[in-house]
Amino acid sequence: MADTLEQVRSDLVKALSSGQTEEAESLTRQALAAGADPLDLIQNLLVPTLTRVGQDFQKFNIFLPELMAAGDAAQAVTAILEEAIAASGAETSSPGTVVLGTVEHDVHDIGKNIVNTMLSSHGFKVIDVGRDVAPSRFLETARQEKADIVALSALMTTTRPATRSTINLFQEVGAREQFKIIVGGGCIDQAWADEIGADGYAPDAAAAVELCKKLVK
Amino acid sequence: MAQSSTYLPGIVKRSENGPYSKESEFDMTLARRTAELVREYGLKFDPQVLVPADDGLADRLYQAGFELFLEMGAYNQSTERRILFSRDELETAVAAAPSAITLGTGKDAVIERHRGVESTIPCLMHSGPTGTPCSERYHPLILQSCAQEPLVDCLGHGSIATYMGELIIPGSPLEILAARSEAAIAREAVRKASRPGMHIEDNAVSLTCAGKMASIDPASGLRPSDGLLISQMPELKTNYDQLSRVAHLQNIGMHMVDLMTPLIGGLGGGPEGTAIVTIASHILGVVCYHVSYHFLGHMHLLKSNNTDRMGLWIEAVVGQALARNTPLVAVNDIYTVSGLGTTEILWEVAAGAMIGTVCGLHQHGIGATAGNEIDHTSGLEARFQAEVAHAALGLSRQEVNGYVLACLSHYEDSLNDPNVGKPFPELYDTEALVPNNEWLEIYHQVRGELSDLGLNMESWRKVRHG
Repeated sequence: MADTLEQVRSDLVKALSSGQTEEAESLTRQALAAGADPLDLIQNLLVPTLTRVGQDFQKFNIFLPELMAAGDAAQAVTAILEEAIAASGAETSSPGTVVLGTVEHDVHDIGKNIVNTMLSSHGFKVIDVGRDVAPSRFLETARQEKADIVALSALMTTTRPATRSTINLFQEVGAREQFKIIVGGGCIDQAWADEIGADGYAPDAAAAVELCKKLVK
Repeated sequence: MAQSSTYLPGIVKRSENGPYSKESEFDMTLARRTAELVREYGLKFDPQVLVPADDGLADRLYQAGFELFLEMGAYNQSTERRILFSRDELETAVAAAPSAITLGTGKDAVIERHRGVESTIPCLMHSGPTGTPCSERYHPLILQSCAQEPLVDCLGHGSIATYMGELIIPGSPLEILAARSEAAIAREAVRKASRPGMHIEDNAVSLTCAGKMASIDPASGLRPSDGLLISQMPELKTNYDQLSRVAHLQNIGMHMVDLMTPLIGGLGGGPEGTAIVTIASHILGVVCYHVSYHFLGHMHLLKSNNTDRMGLWIEAVVGQALARNTPLVAVNDIYTVSGLGTTEILWEVAAGAMIGTVCGLHQHGIGATAGNEIDHTSGLEARFQAEVAHAALGLSRQEVNGYVLACLSHYEDSLNDPNVGKPFPELYDTEALVPNNEWLEIYHQVRGELSDLGLNMESWRKVRHG
């Protein structure tokens, strides 16, 4: 049985890495049937595999379609594993909830989508509020979802001020201390993050994952 | 010709009634179909042959890009519907697209013509801050430094982040004021350069349709002989804000410019797929935007440049595919990782410029530091780009491939850790508006090394004067 389970785990890594959702779902069910611990699969198989996929993407060994496919497969597997964890009476182990969006007037969302894929793959619950998002929507969603982190993306110099106005709104309504607010995107750097009082800045998607992990500790 | 179907009311009708699709589904379908087309059409990137002399490859690429747009259409983000066209509509619209356009007015007007592969028609040179931010203080001087260069034919714009020191909020009155002010500054820059009729290709500070329209003011802002960019969102996406610009500009007879940013490593995947998407993006610009000319602005998904091997290959094969299969007027749009005042930026520019010349494109530069650093544009690198472009006129694709590989050897190692250089005020005498000795020495150094490689850097004299 151990050999079989090892083989299933090995095949699952391959299916996740290559973004074969149906194959990954089937292998996950086989692994559970063979007695695998769903929490162990998340922590010691899913997260390391998607971390490697993310690293390959950062090195451009793979491209966005492959990253997206792996992310989709990981989400499908996560759903199965969370169901198994819930059925056993245990609690799932999401490191935190992130409200993620591109700021008002900015319609660029590919970078934000990559961050979504990477965070979701690492177990974060991501509430993607889309692009061109008003400050009030970030606030409402963060409250509604009891978010840990609000992540703001902006690509253009002309939309960068909206990161400041979003943080300002949280401040004005007395909600600033309830959430960690982080920023990223093409026009953002650490100096800007410091200037507007953000809790963190990430230059790329992999760094965003590490930053979120650090902030929810 | 089925004018009524691709005419703007027809585009709106299809936007309202075309097939509904979630945007993420459109993306995944596009990614999957592009990967299939790469295989079906036998497209293969060779990192040692960045300027293929393979007409069959160019033609297969065009067909693959055409098929992709025929099947996918354009995605209208405003309605979440696909705008679809028939094969006949697309073929007719491409065939009827302008092959020569007059840009600017009076003595400063230039005619930009479709160029073929290894064409003998000289490139026109568009210059100005390309997708790069400028400070309010230096923006007027940067524009003038470009406009006063004799080899520059058209002026780009570049954006500023503030208006009278205040951050510009898109959609607010500040955007309108900034758009009008910046259009007036561009107009004043060409006047001060004694080229008042020079074509100004955009007003980049404005993000919204209202802002773009506010920049039009024949007395002191933009005129119909100038242009405004109509943007595509990657990949193959538009929206009503962009299409509304088309509605007004078509009516006043103003030039429209197709701005696309196909992302290398993005939904198209690797270089072959990105090239397919780039062809499809040009067709979108024809049928949805009815533009005068197109900016081939593909860029690396993570680094935002197009001067690595993949970016250069895409420029070469897409340029050839368009040159051989369409009458379109297409312009390269060089984005470098290096900054001003470095040898590396000039080598990056030289590689992109030579490819543009032999692959049917006109020239546009330069998005230095991939558009990240402020005030990283000056007239000198535009002069250099034009000189290199003219020096490459008459060369074969094989010859240029050798030159490009030689250029790459001077900067490829720095792509991951680029030399950011210095901004405009540290490289120009901002009173006399001339490059300082430091910047001139770097320019002469690289110019000399290109001459040593065998490139005739004085060719521009013959090109200009016959």
